[in-house]
Amino acid sequence: MTELNLIIAGVGGQGSILASHMVAMAAIREGLRARVGETFGAAMRGGAVASHVRIGKGVNAPLIPRGGADIVLAMEPLEGLRNVVSFLRKGGLLLTNTHEWLPVDVNIGRANYPSLQSIKEAVEQLGGRMIAIDGTSLAQQAGDVRTLNVVMLGALAATGKLPISTETLKQIIMENVPRKTVEMNMRAFELGFNSLK
Amino acid sequence: MSSTSEIIVEDSPGKRVLLMGNEAIARGAIEAGVRVAASYPGTPASEILETLAAAAPKLGFYAEWSVNEKVAFEVAAGAAITGVRSITSMKNAGLNWVMDMFMTLVYGGVRGGFLIAVADDPDAHYSSNEQDTRFAAHYAEIPCLEPSDAQEAKDMARYAFELSEQIELPVFLRSVTRISHASGDVELGKIEKRDRKPVFDKHWKMPWRWDVYGPPSAVEKHRWLHGQMPKIKKIVEGLPWNRLDLHEGQSVGVIASGIGASYALDAIKLLGLEGRVAFLKIGTPTPLPEKLVEKLLKSVTNVLVVEEGEPLVELLVKALAKDANPAVKIMGRFNGDMPPVGEINIDIVAKAISKLTGKELPSDPQLEKVREEVKKLVVPRSSTLCAGCPHLGTYWALKRALSKFGGKVPIVNGDIGCYEQGGYGIAGKEYKPSFSTESVHYKIEAPYETLDTNYIMGGGIGLMQGEFRAGYGDGPLVAVAGDSTFFHACMPAVANAVVNKAKGVFLVLDNSWTAMTGHQPDPVTGVTAMGEKTKTLCIEDVARALGVEFIRVSDSFDVRATQEAIEEALKSDKFAIVVSRRVCTLQAMRLKQYTRKKMFLEKDTCTGCRLCVSLGCPAITFNTEENKAGIDPIICVGCGICAQVCPVGAIKVGE
Repeated sequence: MTELNLIIAGVGGQGSILASHMVAMAAIREGLRARVGETFGAAMRGGAVASHVRIGKGVNAPLIPRGGADIVLAMEPLEGLRNVVSFLRKGGLLLTNTHEWLPVDVNIGRANYPSLQSIKEAVEQLGGRMIAIDGTSLAQQAGDVRTLNVVMLGALAATGKLPISTETLKQIIMENVPRKTVEMNMRAFELGFNSLK
Repeated sequence: MSSTSEIIVEDSPGKRVLLMGNEAIARGAIEAGVRVAASYPGTPASEILETLAAAAPKLGFYAEWSVNEKVAFEVAAGAAITGVRSITSMKNAGLNWVMDMFMTLVYGGVRGGFLIAVADDPDAHYSSNEQDTRFAAHYAEIPCLEPSDAQEAKDMARYAFELSEQIELPVFLRSVTRISHASGDVELGKIEKRDRKPVFDKHWKMPWRWDVYGPPSAVEKHRWLHGQMPKIKKIVEGLPWNRLDLHEGQSVGVIASGIGASYALDAIKLLGLEGRVAFLKIGTPTPLPEKLVEKLLKSVTNVLVVEEGEPLVELLVKALAKDANPAVKIMGRFNGDMPPVGEINIDIVAKAISKLTGKELPSDPQLEKVREEVKKLVVPRSSTLCAGCPHLGTYWALKRALSKFGGKVPIVNGDIGCYEQGGYGIAGKEYKPSFSTESVHYKIEAPYETLDTNYIMGGGIGLMQGEFRAGYGDGPLVAVAGDSTFFHACMPAVANAVVNKAKGVFLVLDNSWTAMTGHQPDPVTGVTAMGEKTKTLCIEDVARALGVEFIRVSDSFDVRATQEAIEEALKSDKFAIVVSRRVCTLQAMRLKQYTRKKMFLEKDTCTGCRLCVSLGCPAITFNTEENKAGIDPIICVGCGICAQVCPVGAIKVGE
């Protein structure tokens, strides 16, 4: 693989930006070049967040061109779909958490949340494939819902599509999560990893 | 093992690490031995000072969050006058606050290296406008460095201090969101010692160097400033960030500045045109490396200028072409070959290069059609205040208080901070323009429809006074602002309201932090940027000292009390201030001030009236099939505002 274009999407507060940084740090640790471009709204929490991760020798700009993403990793299904629509390439993968975080637009009755089935069909129409796991439950099982990003990174590693070793990624996670939570996060990583096996 | 905050202070030249653009700028300043750093928070620039403030106690330099950008600029400039190295950083809009000092300081320049780092925000992701601050550097006649990635951001920030001392002028570094809030691999350099002794000489190399009014005159000092430019132009010609890649037989050239160079390189690759177009990478949009530009202009027939923001480089290149090669065709944003507003990206640049070279872009029209179709499924996610945000309580109280004025049309003037979301509207709702000649009342469906005007820091309280002076009488006049904004820009307007006898209600939403930009301390927080305890200023004390006679203070979580305070203020015949106070929920949770209680909703009691939904808390859901509200236990923080809103008592505090 010469280049990997990955988008990590979610809602502000779900840890997608830290997850994207950890993937890029692991790439750099293995001698690769990396770029991360963050897109998020003004709000601290609750806004749509997407982080573009580009790994490979020839990457320059921090944003992935339209239809250029190999993988969209989503902490939340609607945010996965939002990024798939513009960025997923033919043959690309949406790996998503199934737990919905309803936008206020849906709550006040101004919009309808798309079903997981309709998201799957949309991805397939675009020539992609979807894998969905209940990452939120796995994170709770690991000990804290805040480990969702690490659960999803575990699942991402299990796809075998990352140009970096799982051991390096785990090492980077251990170095970047709060010290007291290392054990819990490793549990989260394994739960995510095994959910795809 | 080491986290980024540890890496930043490590003296390990040659080590490759992932840094965010803002961290890279901070690291560059650290490597250059910066002694004083001052800033006011503003996205996308805040992390520059955050990084410096975390490093300062470890490395023995000084960093502060100033009360506003102008003060920050002056703190850094004062340090530079004594010969030490200093940095001030700010967002695009922040530069507008410092223009007075900026335009005047350059008449005498500086003694120690002084870096002005500004992060612009093309596409206005986090800003009220898209302004391109490179023009300010051009206007001030100082050099502007513009990095294309995190490595250059670090290297340029480091070099800026050396250049600044060489030309005895401040140096401008212009970043953009895609540099500041993007990350890349960076090779670290050596950290210089910061043991220079501050000195003062009022006639240093020029009489009355630091006093623009001192003899001979401001005009003579302007002449000196102007006289520095030939030297600056000579220096930028040889900088490694200005590079021309030109080969025999190339008829098309791309001139790309800053992040534009990264987009252009990827676009050229996407089109398979590597080596087929001449490429001039620009690291100093002003002044340009004129000899390199002229060399390119004389060798090709067509040139595309790629830059983020307004067409500064494009216009300067056009000016140079007049003498160098008037026949060369120059394309860019000015000519409309790329969109004149919004952000550029690889796709936009690739399209422009495709048009210029005739090389077609890879496309799949069938797939594009499917994308358009599938897009209809995507629901907007409107920006909201956080679950349990104190502003939810304040806005609910304000809405209730204003509703007592029946069909009247209030004007609620907004300001900059988390509470500005009170004017974001709802993305899923259609708003139509109105052409009425009378005042029009609009129903507030969610707190996000509360604010009627919003421009800049401190702007609302001034606008309110103008509305009052115009004689507006169709409804009450209100202005809102946060605690950090109060000290940043509202105090002169409060004094103005008092002495000029204006009327209206000024609602201050005090949550103890500059929350929106990531919880930096402000004058009410009681802590400094470097983590030391300090004096806590009290907004009502300041208001009282400024002569405000009507002042009420309430707890934002006590909806009824806050509503009553606002109602009383609305009825007052004086200029009135209501301080609605409650620490930011995110900080309270971080500091473990909340027990992790959750609210719960009794389904049998809920009548499906949706009043709680219109509170606008993201933790409140609604099930249309059951016609019942619900509470998302993962998001809820148990603040209890919704329980006060529910008219039938269906919402209760759980265990």
